[in-house]
Amino acid sequence: MNRPMDRLWVLMTASFVIYALLAIVMGVIPGIVLSATRPTPGISPLSGPAARGRDVYVAEGCSYCHTQQVRPLAQDLVFGRPSTRGDYAYSTPQLLGTERTGPDLTNIGRRQPSAVWNYIHLYEPRSVVSASIMPAYPWLFTLKAHADQGDVTVPVPPGYAPANAVVVARRDAIDLVDYLQSLKQAQLGSAK
Amino acid sequence: MNVAGTQRETREQATLLSAFVVSATLWLLITTAVAVLLSFKFPFPDLATSPYLSFGRLRAIHTNGTFYAFASVALSGLAIYIAARSSGAPIYAKPVAWVSLGLFNVAAILGTITLDLGMSDGSQEYREWLPWVRVILLLAALCSAYVVAGTIARRVERPIYIANWYTLGGFTFTAILWIVALIPTYQIGVGQVSVQAFYMHNAVGMWFTFLALGVTYYALPKLLNRPIYSYSLGVLAFWTNLVFYPIIGSHHYEFSPLPWWLQTLAIVFSVGMLIPVFAGSANLILTARGAWDVVRRSYALPFLAAGIVYYFLGSTQGTFEALRTAQAYWHFTSFTVGHSHATMYGFITLIVFGGVYALLPLATGKQPSPLLTGVHFWFALVGVTLYVIVLSVGGTIQGINWASGNPFISSVEAAAPFWLARALGGSMMFVSHLLFAYNVYVMIGAKQPTLEPQAQPA
Repeated sequence: MNRPMDRLWVLMTASFVIYALLAIVMGVIPGIVLSATRPTPGISPLSGPAARGRDVYVAEGCSYCHTQQVRPLAQDLVFGRPSTRGDYAYSTPQLLGTERTGPDLTNIGRRQPSAVWNYIHLYEPRSVVSASIMPAYPWLFTLKAHADQGDVTVPVPPGYAPANAVVVARRDAIDLVDYLQSLKQAQLGSAK
Repeated sequence: MNVAGTQRETREQATLLSAFVVSATLWLLITTAVAVLLSFKFPFPDLATSPYLSFGRLRAIHTNGTFYAFASVALSGLAIYIAARSSGAPIYAKPVAWVSLGLFNVAAILGTITLDLGMSDGSQEYREWLPWVRVILLLAALCSAYVVAGTIARRVERPIYIANWYTLGGFTFTAILWIVALIPTYQIGVGQVSVQAFYMHNAVGMWFTFLALGVTYYALPKLLNRPIYSYSLGVLAFWTNLVFYPIIGSHHYEFSPLPWWLQTLAIVFSVGMLIPVFAGSANLILTARGAWDVVRRSYALPFLAAGIVYYFLGSTQGTFEALRTAQAYWHFTSFTVGHSHATMYGFITLIVFGGVYALLPLATGKQPSPLLTGVHFWFALVGVTLYVIVLSVGGTIQGINWASGNPFISSVEAAAPFWLARALGGSMMFVSHLLFAYNVYVMIGAKQPTLEPQAQPA
C-alpha cells in the first residue's frame, strides 16, 4: 500500500493547515470582529480604584463562582436585564464566568449598594448570610487596637467580631468594594 | 543496531518513560490533594482560611496542574515511548526529551507559585498561568513534539501507525491553539469571550483526547494481542474530530452575548461530534469484543476499557448537554463540573493509568501487585462515578431551583448534600492516586522484578 498519508510531512502539513484555518475562522476572526464592539451608551472605563479592585477580583478568583452575564431567560431577570455585547467593551479581562455557585454580579452595584454590607460580607460572609458557603477574606482587612483617622472600620456583627480589636479595611478591600459598586448595568435606550 | 546498543537503547527508553511517569505522578498527588481540600471547602467554608489555601487561587492551581503538569506530562512521555516502540526505531534526540520534561516542570512550578500569590492571567479558565509561563509550557510541548516526529520519521515500516496519527495531530493542534491563546490584540471584551470559548474547549478535545486516543490505539491491541478492529474507522474519527471539534467551543457560552449564530453553529456541530465519538469508541470496543476474560485478568486493560466507556458516555453527554433546552437548566451549575470530570478523569486519566500499567512494566520489566492495582482501579472508578453522579443530580436540582424563582441561597442549600458526597468521591479518587504512586514506585524502583511488592528485595 502506498497511501499519501503514509508520508509524515503530508500528514503533519494537512493537520497543521486544516487546524490553523479553523483556528483563524473560529478563534481569531470572531476575536477581531467582537473586540471592535462599540460600548453600550452610558458605560465608561473603570476609574483607578475600581480598576485595581478588578485586579483583586481576578487575583482571588471570584469569577469561578460568580458570573457576570445575565441571560435572556426568566430565571436570570432577577439579576438585571439581559447582557449585551457592548456592556463588556471596557471589561478586559472578561469575567463572564462559567459557574454560578454564588449569585450573578452583573448589576451588583445597584442590587447591593451598601459598602458597609460588602465589607462585612467579605470579612465573614456567614455573619450576614448564615447559609453562605463563600470563603471569608480576612486578609483583605487588618485588625487594630483602635482605629486611626481616615481608617475604614468594619462593624462586624457580635459573635464574628474579634475581641479587643477593630476590623479595618485594607486598600485591597476598599478597591474591591469600589469595583463591586461600579458594576451597574447601563439603561438601554428605548427603540422609539 | 548491535546487541549492546539495543540493550542501552532499551535501558534509556525505560529511564526516560520512568522519569515522565514519576514527574506526572508527583503532580497528580499535589494537584489532587489540593482538589480534596477544595471539595471540603463546600461543606466547611471556613476550613483553611488563608490566601494561599483559598478556593479562588487553588481552583486554578488544581485545573492547570492536572492538565499541564500531570496529564500532559504523562501523555507526552507515553507518546514518545509509543512512537519508538511502534516505529521500531530508537527515541530520536533524547536530550530534547529531557529538556521537554524539565520545561514542563519549570512551567508547572512557576505557574503554581504565581497563581498562589494571586497572579492570574485574567482568570481565563485553563490558561490562568501568566503568558511567559505559558511560553515555557509551549516550548516543553514543542520539544516533545520534535522528539515524537523525529522518532516516527525513522520508522521501519512505511505506514504511520494510527496511534501516531493521533499523537502527531495532538501536538500540532495544541501548538497552534496555545499560540492563538497567547496573542492579546483580538481579546478585548466580548472578543476575549469568543477566544476563551474556542480555547477552553479545544485545550481539552484537541490535546488530551488526541493523545489519550493515541495511547489507547497502541496499548489496547498490544495487550489483547490482536489488531485494531478497523483502521478506516480510526481515520474517519481522526478527520471528523479535527474538523468538527474546533467549531463547538461557543457551547460553553450559550445564552451569552456571543453572536446567536455562533452558538447555534456550535450546537449543530456538537451533534456532529457523535460521528467521531461513535466511530472511535465503537472501533475500540469492537477491538476488545469477546475478550472479557483477558480484560479481567490484566492490570491495564480494565483501566483502558473503563476509559473507553467514559469516552463514549462523557462525549455523548456533552452533545446532549449542548442543546439549548438542557443548557437553560444545566449551564452555570455543578452539572458542568461533573461532566468535566467524566471526560478529564473518567476518560483521560483512566487511559493514562491504563497506559502506564500497560507500558511501564514493558519498559522496566517490573510488575506491580495485581491486588493493589485492582484496588487502585476500583477506588478510581467508583470514586469518579460517584463524583459524576452526585454532581449531575445536584446540578440538576440547582438548575430547577433557579428556574423555580426561589431566592438564590436556596439553591446553595439544596446542592449542599451533593457537594458533600462529591468530597467523598473525590477523596476516593485521591486514595487511588496514593496506590498508583506506590505501584509506580514498584514498577520503577523495586530492586528486582517481583509480583509481591511487600517482599524485601535481596
